[in-house]
Amino acid sequence: MPVDNYTNMEEKLWILEDLNMMYIRQIALSLQDSDIQKKIDHEIRMRDGACKLLAACSQRDQALEAAKSLQTCSTRIMAYMSELQRMKEAQVMQKVTRRSSDAGPMDDRLPCKGKVAISDLRIPLMWKDTEYFKNKGELHRCAVFCLLQLGGEIFDTDMVIVDRTLTDICFDNTIVFSEAGPGFELRVELYSCCSEDDYSAGSTPRKLASKLSSSLGRSAGKKLRAAMEPGPCSPVSNGGAAPLLLPVPSVPGPKYHLLAHTTLSLSHVQDSFRTHDLTISGNEECSYWLPLYGSMCCRLAAQPHCMTQQMMSGCLKVKVRWQQCGGDPQSWTKVYAVLKGTSLFCYHRQEDVEANIEPAFTIGINKDTRIRASEKDPHSKVQNICISNQYGGEEVTHTLTTDSREDTHRWMEAFWQHFYDMSQWKQCCDDLMKIELPSPRKPAPVTPKQGSLYHEMVIESSDDLSSTVSDILARRMQELELRSQLGTSPTWMSVFEENNAKSAGRTRHCTSRLSGHSPCTPHRLPRSPASPHRCPQLGLLSSDASLTSDSDSHCSTSPCSQHHGWPEPSSSFSLLSSSPSRLRPRTLSLDAKLSTLRGRGYGGGGAFQCPCQPPPSSLLAPLPISSRSPRSQRSTQTTLSCSSSTSSNSSSNSEGSHSPESSEGVPFSRPSPARRSLRNLRARLDPRNWLQSQV
Amino acid sequence: MSFVPGQPVTAVVQRIEIQKLRQGNNLILGFSIGGGIDQDPGQNPFSEDKTDKGIYVTRITPGGPADVAGLMMGDKIMQVNGWDMTMVTHDKARKRLTKKNEDVVRLLVTRKSLEEAVKHSMGTYHKQ
Repeated sequence: MPVDNYTNMEEKLWILEDLNMMYIRQIALSLQDSDIQKKIDHEIRMRDGACKLLAACSQRDQALEAAKSLQTCSTRIMAYMSELQRMKEAQVMQKVTRRSSDAGPMDDRLPCKGKVAISDLRIPLMWKDTEYFKNKGELHRCAVFCLLQLGGEIFDTDMVIVDRTLTDICFDNTIVFSEAGPGFELRVELYSCCSEDDYSAGSTPRKLASKLSSSLGRSAGKKLRAAMEPGPCSPVSNGGAAPLLLPVPSVPGPKYHLLAHTTLSLSHVQDSFRTHDLTISGNEECSYWLPLYGSMCCRLAAQPHCMTQQMMSGCLKVKVRWQQCGGDPQSWTKVYAVLKGTSLFCYHRQEDVEANIEPAFTIGINKDTRIRASEKDPHSKVQNICISNQYGGEEVTHTLTTDSREDTHRWMEAFWQHFYDMSQWKQCCDDLMKIELPSPRKPAPVTPKQGSLYHEMVIESSDDLSSTVSDILARRMQELELRSQLGTSPTWMSVFEENNAKSAGRTRHCTSRLSGHSPCTPHRLPRSPASPHRCPQLGLLSSDASLTSDSDSHCSTSPCSQHHGWPEPSSSFSLLSSSPSRLRPRTLSLDAKLSTLRGRGYGGGGAFQCPCQPPPSSLLAPLPISSRSPRSQRSTQTTLSCSSSTSSNSSSNSEGSHSPESSEGVPFSRPSPARRSLRNLRARLDPRNWLQSQV
Repeated sequence: MSFVPGQPVTAVVQRIEIQKLRQGNNLILGFSIGGGIDQDPGQNPFSEDKTDKGIYVTRITPGGPADVAGLMMGDKIMQVNGWDMTMVTHDKARKRLTKKNEDVVRLLVTRKSLEEAVKHSMGTYHKQ
């Protein structure tokens, strides 16, 4: 029995929908407007497709996307239908007024339309601290998206999954509405849906579902009746909670609910980011609830057409008069004038406009300009137009004249219209606001994490605009030569040299970082502002940073080499070779350090990536420099490691076991990202540093 | 440019819009930043108040996008695309500037000369 009731209800809904459609078609036909009809048909097809997809798909995110398009289609259908209703009313009203021969203000000026763009939508969340810092427990997720409606255009943003780890809901889309009047109302609605496992209505027990559907009879029936009335009240701005004109048959699947909404208008338009208040619907008990802070941050820009398009153009003759010169007319200058934005551009010839040549001169037309038609010129019976502007205390008057009275009249009309537009669009006409259309660019293909280190050796060109790979390699070659002159040295010595070369050559921001360690801090400080320009991006050095801190400890006892730092590698090397005695005390600490590292390294993974770990031979292949003479693996490896900052990181991260010369023999594998970030953190939290990053 | 905890910060700001430059796979802005709430503010050579943990511009690549847009060395960045930069860590600041899907960054920056310019202009007004 209950099953029958349920299916009965559904059938009734379908019938109502068909009736509605017929009604709509009638209206459209009578208005002879097939455009909206087509749009409605299109949206209905989309909606049906979304319904089918929703019923068919099993994956949660697919279902959410389908539900989102369903919501968008439904809203669009409603908007189109209400527009149809309005047009019908307008037609009827017009007939009425004509009959009563009540000449309303027919010569009312209409302001020009414009483009309105909203971008960088951001909605802050306000989680309870207990909620935000929870580490265990299920992550309660909600899928959210925004619907933006202006006039007849409705757009939706991408869907974002929100959970308690996010502090703000950010929508990256830029939405541009092309035909908006100055009295526009941009309605922003935030829909959310709980993204838990079980949301399909099909899972609710049949009995319950039928009970619910039959108990809806009263309120649903009332809504349906209201919707069916082809009266003047159109449920257009009822908010998202308004019933659909075409009742959607209930489809099992996720359903979005309105969480918050706000309406923006011309007063909110500005060329910068502003915060607006949101009206929140729903409460904590709802499944789709999110703790919104209550405001929304976005950039709302408008470009009225009077600022971007040519409002009027034609040939004119212009005369200038400066206030203090008093005196009289110079000759007329023939120009081709174009009225656009806040100026009247006067070109010598019409072709100059397309050729983008600079205009001969420009007359400002803004809210401080005064334009009037002067008395008739006795010579030609044409009225002149006088444009007065204040340029810093002085009044400058341009007098325009045309060839015929009609032209003068048209120009005056154009100026009045322009002034009217500027008065309507207010702050949008002060300066042209920029609207960027995001280029439909595919996101950069994410290189899959491959095993080979070659893929990690990215030479970020954000390093320095001037430094190229060849530069870096050339420098490396110099060092290489120097080192080969020093001859072979005990294992740890070469390790140590490598250290120096690496840290000296690798990233110059080391120098600032090392300031804390080395005794010559005051000497280093003035260098830091100069050095960071060679600093690669910090993100790039994520593991580098961690390395540096270790190399610090290694190199801490070698202030001499750090002194000269990067630009003079030769001196550092010569110092090294010339003062072996100074090295001795270092070796002890170095040995101690190495042993601890070794111990940790055997753990397999080593949180401490010993920078002295020679990179594996696998690195040799990709770089051309490997073909150079010094076959000593270590030196080549050093070269390789220094040739790009990440490679030095990856070099030490690499499998130590590959390297035949790794007498340390520690199987250093690539550290887990967690460990890398730990080292990052340590370096960055060091209060002695003042980091600089290049962006 | 110092602040009193608990009171709103006011500053004379200039809007700077930087178009990112594409270099291969990267979008660069052409300047370097220093500072952050996790950094030692005493080492900031550009700040007046040595307890200021804000984000400062430490270097401008000549001819780069930031230079063209009018950013100057020593500017303190208050806001990036609507996000506040007066109380952020260094890494967060860097990330806000280097979002891959953004082609334009709109900064609000403040510098000493701006404050002085306003003061002077107000001064002359009062004289009149």
